[in-house]
Amino acid sequence: MRTTPRTRMTRRAAVGTAAMMLAVTACSSGGDSDSNGGDGDKITLTVGVFGQFGLEEAGLYEEYMELNDNIVIEQTSVQKSEDYYPALLTRLPTGSGLMDIQAIEVANIYEVTNELSQYFVDFNDYDVDTGHFLDFKLAQATNADGKVVGLGTDIGPMGICYRTDHFEAAGLPTDRDEVSALWADDWQAYIDTGKEFVESDVDAAWVDVAGGVFNAVVNTYEERFYDTSGEVVYQESEAVQTAWDLAMDAAESGITAKQKQFEAEWDRAIANGDFATVSCPAWMLGYIQDKAGDAGEGLWDFAHAPSPGNWGGAFLSVTEASEHKEEAAKLAAWLTAPEQQARFFAERGSFPSSAEAVQAPEVADATHDYFQDAPIGRLFTEAAEGIPTLVLGPRDQVIQEQIANGLLAADTQGLSSEEAWESTVNSIENALAD
Amino acid sequence: MTLSAPVTPETTTPVLPPGDDGGPPRRVKRGGKAGKQLRAGWLTYTILAIFTFGSLFPLVWTAIAASHSNARLAQSPPPFSFGDRLWHNLDQAWNTANMGKALFNTVFVAGTITVSTVLFATLAGFAFAKLRFRAKNLLLLLVIGTMMVPPQLSVVPLFMAIAELGWTNHLQAVILPMMVSAFGVFFMRQYLVQALPTELIEAARMDGANSLRVVWHVVLPVARPAMAVLAMLTFVMAWNEFFWPIIALTQQNPTVQVALTGLGRGYVPDQGVIMAGALLGTLPLLIAFAIFGKQIVGGIMQGALKG
Amino acid sequence: MTTHDSSAAPPVEGGAAPGRPGRAAESPEERRQRRRSWRFRMDTKASPYAFIAPFFLFFGAFGLFPLLFTGWAALHRVRLAAPNDMEWAGLDNFVRLMSDEYFWNALGNTFTIGVLATVPQLAIALGLAHLLNYKMRGSNFFRVAMLTPYATSVAAATLVFAMLYGRDYGMINWALDLVGIDAVDWKSGSLTTQFAISTIVIWRWTGYNTLIYLAAMQAVPKDLYESAALDGASPWKQFLHVTLPSLRPTILFTVVVSTIGATQLFGEPLLFGGSPSGGAQNEYQTLGLYMYEMGWTNFNLGRASAIAWAMFLLLIIIGLVYWAVTKLASRGTAGKGA
Repeated sequence: MRTTPRTRMTRRAAVGTAAMMLAVTACSSGGDSDSNGGDGDKITLTVGVFGQFGLEEAGLYEEYMELNDNIVIEQTSVQKSEDYYPALLTRLPTGSGLMDIQAIEVANIYEVTNELSQYFVDFNDYDVDTGHFLDFKLAQATNADGKVVGLGTDIGPMGICYRTDHFEAAGLPTDRDEVSALWADDWQAYIDTGKEFVESDVDAAWVDVAGGVFNAVVNTYEERFYDTSGEVVYQESEAVQTAWDLAMDAAESGITAKQKQFEAEWDRAIANGDFATVSCPAWMLGYIQDKAGDAGEGLWDFAHAPSPGNWGGAFLSVTEASEHKEEAAKLAAWLTAPEQQARFFAERGSFPSSAEAVQAPEVADATHDYFQDAPIGRLFTEAAEGIPTLVLGPRDQVIQEQIANGLLAADTQGLSSEEAWESTVNSIENALAD
Repeated sequence: MTLSAPVTPETTTPVLPPGDDGGPPRRVKRGGKAGKQLRAGWLTYTILAIFTFGSLFPLVWTAIAASHSNARLAQSPPPFSFGDRLWHNLDQAWNTANMGKALFNTVFVAGTITVSTVLFATLAGFAFAKLRFRAKNLLLLLVIGTMMVPPQLSVVPLFMAIAELGWTNHLQAVILPMMVSAFGVFFMRQYLVQALPTELIEAARMDGANSLRVVWHVVLPVARPAMAVLAMLTFVMAWNEFFWPIIALTQQNPTVQVALTGLGRGYVPDQGVIMAGALLGTLPLLIAFAIFGKQIVGGIMQGALKG
Repeated sequence: MTTHDSSAAPPVEGGAAPGRPGRAAESPEERRQRRRSWRFRMDTKASPYAFIAPFFLFFGAFGLFPLLFTGWAALHRVRLAAPNDMEWAGLDNFVRLMSDEYFWNALGNTFTIGVLATVPQLAIALGLAHLLNYKMRGSNFFRVAMLTPYATSVAAATLVFAMLYGRDYGMINWALDLVGIDAVDWKSGSLTTQFAISTIVIWRWTGYNTLIYLAAMQAVPKDLYESAALDGASPWKQFLHVTLPSLRPTILFTVVVSTIGATQLFGEPLLFGGSPSGGAQNEYQTLGLYMYEMGWTNFNLGRASAIAWAMFLLLIIIGLVYWAVTKLASRGTAGKGA
């Protein structure tokens, strides 16, 4: 029961074209097996994810298939979120080419929950316990009518990863509690420590890029780009102003390595210790470990950020187009249940979005040996408790990307704060205009 | 806009003498080629060697990068020689990306597209080059005009149509929209208008051949070199097509380029594996080039657009 | 209507069976022939259409509908996630383009990258073709080697070049450092980024154009060179006065094809920076990329469609200019040939 409003005209055009194509191609099907066909009475459930999702790698599918031998799970993974989401958007209105379960990034959850909810099932209609999730996580995937379209997999409580060798060489403390105390509750102190750091003769920058600072700071506020009534307020919001000024301070005082995040060069900068600190959500630890490799073992540690925020995290949604909604909802619920989330954290380091899972001993007592046995369970739990309930809006991602672009220009091309801000506002206004 | 005007060959190249046996007339001219050709000196070799190095280096470096671990690739300076993880990375890329099926699919897709593009382009190119019919110039303009449609935006309406037909994730969704190409028609027309002597067709007509026989016995033999070139261009293009397939297909039934988008899996994207994937996607074409290189290049030599 | 003026010009149609002169009255042989000639006329009349029909059928099904849909969408407010939910906007989307600084910026970038990529590419190709036209050892090796970049996908090529062009760890800056040149930030700043992207395009397409030129050169009648040599022309003069004029149609063909390619340039700038904004300050955002950003990042299908049609119209204008230029040029060089 698709509820898309379709204008007559385009529908007829599409059907007409379809008929024409059929006529043209009467006998050319290089076709392939149906994705939804089951062998015997087995049901195949498909899961579409992006990037380094890790459900499969954590062995969760395998276990589920063992527990339910009538289910076969197939995963489709698209490396880049920028490829994944537009393809999903193109497919949704047609109800075609969709997986039974689709992963949704937190940056897109508002749009999915509030503007595209007709394409997804309401988990309330199925026997799913949603009570164990962290309140803010559940709220993000619940629309005004109370429909729950996504179940949270993980969240990204943030701290600061830092290089103890650089700290030591610059005469800064290296103990993680002392480091946390250097900038407790004060982002400006974090930047000022950086200025102090670069004045020492350590051959490294303080932080990767100005946009990273912005990102870390802005996510510690509830209201960022939208206010609670849904108005775009980024130009006036305190969060944006504070974060922007801190980021510009970092850029202008030359304490950044000017490396755009997640590019190959940034990876290498991590490996070579080109910057001493980087804001670190839970899922970043494994990333650093892999990029820095054996050579970086024992050099990194983990401390609290001045104030905690959230970066990243995802949801699982079941599409209306699915032929096995019941089973898909069951699988999604199982994958995000407290036990599995706890395991997911132990295997992959993705911090649970389930309040129950957070209390499980394998989460609460976890340490990370690559980060000098930092008690990450305790640290992330403390951070998670301080995460504000963000006010989200449909175009959060665009706004955030354009701000990152403006700051990158300031960082790498020496634009002044005013120039960069003006260019950022122009870009955002252009992007948001109908 | 008569784009055909600049490239209409009749205006320059003298009409070829018809081959007396109806064979490819080109040979007649090729006869005296050796004569006064200039000899290459060391400077020529040096320049060519530099450009050859430039052409091959990025590919070689892809292979080098594919033989190292993430951590090694992250170090400075970058590696210049092969590491020991080539097989490991290739294996990893092969298995995570569903490469077996992807290669099979891609050969099938690119093969089908190539056959149909070359066939239809030759027929249409012949008609536009040598036959007379109403609205011919207008239709030719239309063909060339279609080359100018920016391809990216077709994706949305095309996907709506494909979905309506239930073809999502089926190979015909990527084959059918690419079965013909305006470039191909234009290419064949430019070749045939000049390479196919009208007298040959007339002679065949005199002997009572109908259109199909003319195509079979006269046009195809002459067109063969250009067809070989067009086939190669089309195959490579179809092989590397990315934008539409990633929307129309999923990784359950992927082409190579679609499969490669799934490579950054695992907890952390592994650059070495991604490079290995890029290598796997290019290697089959490179092997084909190495084997058929002489023929392909030879085909281009004979068949390129002289005019 | 089909009168057979086969004497006048090449056209084959009608030139076949019908008009065999000089036969007397109706013999059975004659009648058979006449019937055949009727069939022939049908054949010659219908077959051209049959030959071009497949192209137009497929194009109608898969090319025309998207084009018209896009044109229709350009006149509406419409979002990517609900392409059927259109709200009439008239020419708003086009009017907006006139004052859209990002559109003009993208147009300018498309032009400069197009020039940076196309001119050296064709010039190098011409030079290399000339060299390859010499008698030499290993010519096939050189030819195949130069064609390999063409086989590389845009994605793979850009991936490698993006790494080579890294600011701190790229091999190009490393090499520049060896000769004492400071590191260049290839991923920001208009000139550097556009140069870097142009080199990717040049790398992929030079070999291909080289071979096309080479083929055309080999088809230049040798006696032209011989007579030029007799007149005492140096190799350079021969290149200038014999090779180049003979190649003019081929050069124009490659220019047309390259222009279309350059106007639609998309994959290289997208993958080079990994985002459709084409640099922090849109330094290398091309028209294709801007359209993509509008449609797939901003999800604004209506405005994206308007950009697509603007590109389409732009190409048609360029086509007209080419046509006018070549018309003038060919008038200048006198009307030889039919």
